[in-house]
Amino acid sequence: MQIPKTVVISCAGIGSRLGMGTTKALIELGGKPLIIWQLEMLEEVEDIRIVVGFQAEDVIKTVLPFRRDVIFVFNHNYLSTRTAASLSLGSRHTKNMVVSLDGDLLIHPEDFKKFLSLDYECIGYGIPSTEEPVYVEIFKGEDGEWAKSFTREAGGRYEWTGLVQLWPDNIVNTTGHVYQILEPQLPIRAMQIRSQEVDTNADYIKALEWVKNL
Amino acid sequence: MTRNKKSGEVMFLFDLDGTVTRKEILPEIAKEVGIYNEIKLLTDKTISGKIPFYESFLHRVKLFKDIPVSRVRNIIAEIPLHEEIVRFIREYKERCCIVTGNLDVWVDELCDRIGVDRLTSKAVCRNDKIVEITHVLDKGEAVTRHFGDNFVAVGEGNNDAEMIKNAGIGIAFGGVHQPAKSVLSCATHAVFEEEILCRFLRQLL
Repeated sequence: MQIPKTVVISCAGIGSRLGMGTTKALIELGGKPLIIWQLEMLEEVEDIRIVVGFQAEDVIKTVLPFRRDVIFVFNHNYLSTRTAASLSLGSRHTKNMVVSLDGDLLIHPEDFKKFLSLDYECIGYGIPSTEEPVYVEIFKGEDGEWAKSFTREAGGRYEWTGLVQLWPDNIVNTTGHVYQILEPQLPIRAMQIRSQEVDTNADYIKALEWVKNL
Repeated sequence: MTRNKKSGEVMFLFDLDGTVTRKEILPEIAKEVGIYNEIKLLTDKTISGKIPFYESFLHRVKLFKDIPVSRVRNIIAEIPLHEEIVRFIREYKERCCIVTGNLDVWVDELCDRIGVDRLTSKAVCRNDKIVEITHVLDKGEAVTRHFGDNFVAVGEGNNDAEMIKNAGIGIAFGGVHQPAKSVLSCATHAVFEEEILCRFLRQLL
């Protein structure tokens, strides 16, 4: 069954913190590029938008043999913008609910499937596992879990994974991070997921182990 | 968005060769008249940006000058089209225009059959032969003059780059071959299947 949502994968950046000289979508984990790990989870999604910038042609060449029915969206200003700009570009011209994931995020397929089935705006959070996390404060309401605030100050119990589902009208264009799009809209529903971001070399080592256990 | 003068709606501009058609037109004509290799080489060099479109086009047309125009039209009539794209154009023909460097005397019949308006290069024809090329279309200049600067454009070759650069939404279409690097460097989107292209165009309506 086709899932009538628009999934935006933002992979325009140069991956400078990881320092492998390649955009993170193309780094190999367990014998295949990260972007392919993501696409394998999206088989049932009809409308996939991949936002490309640095090494755009290499990302396109990597994706096409696996899946040709995607829309590539160019963020030509990838050096001076962050993921919020890519998400904004990728989510234009759709009326569907938008699911946004960063090009450096591995999500447990079971959790992602559950997240995709949600019909309300929601973020994915997890146990802190990355070197430079954005922490999120979670509280339990009668109708489920909610995210209350984001912070970069150390010591939070949970981190935001970068995964979010929003209606396109609520995605405003900013030059900053995606969590800054979300801040004026808090609280927002939240779901715990198992994930591994690949932002730094230490994250990369963890990701190598993580894919072995999938 | 630039609006249709009559309806006030967004305009959609399409390259012809390799976008609406499933094959490049000039090499197909060449195949019929036995100069395929020569024309293919010129076409490939033009697509990859090694020689300018203007010179290449004039050179290629010169090689075709002795072929009856009616025969060229018949060859073009047999070239397979991207039927989904044609369906979109027919459905929204008031809002669509084909923008092609090809000659009016060759492609008018095809555009009439689709029922779409067009901007083309122009030639004078006498006794079924081309006697003079009077205008070679500069797509970037022509679309800006006719449609302003905020339309939707779809194409793939180097001669589409200016049109795509000037578009509000410029779509590189890789349904037949890989879009030129110049197009990828200024497009807002790239798609590789006509069904996906048409679904996206409908999202832009």
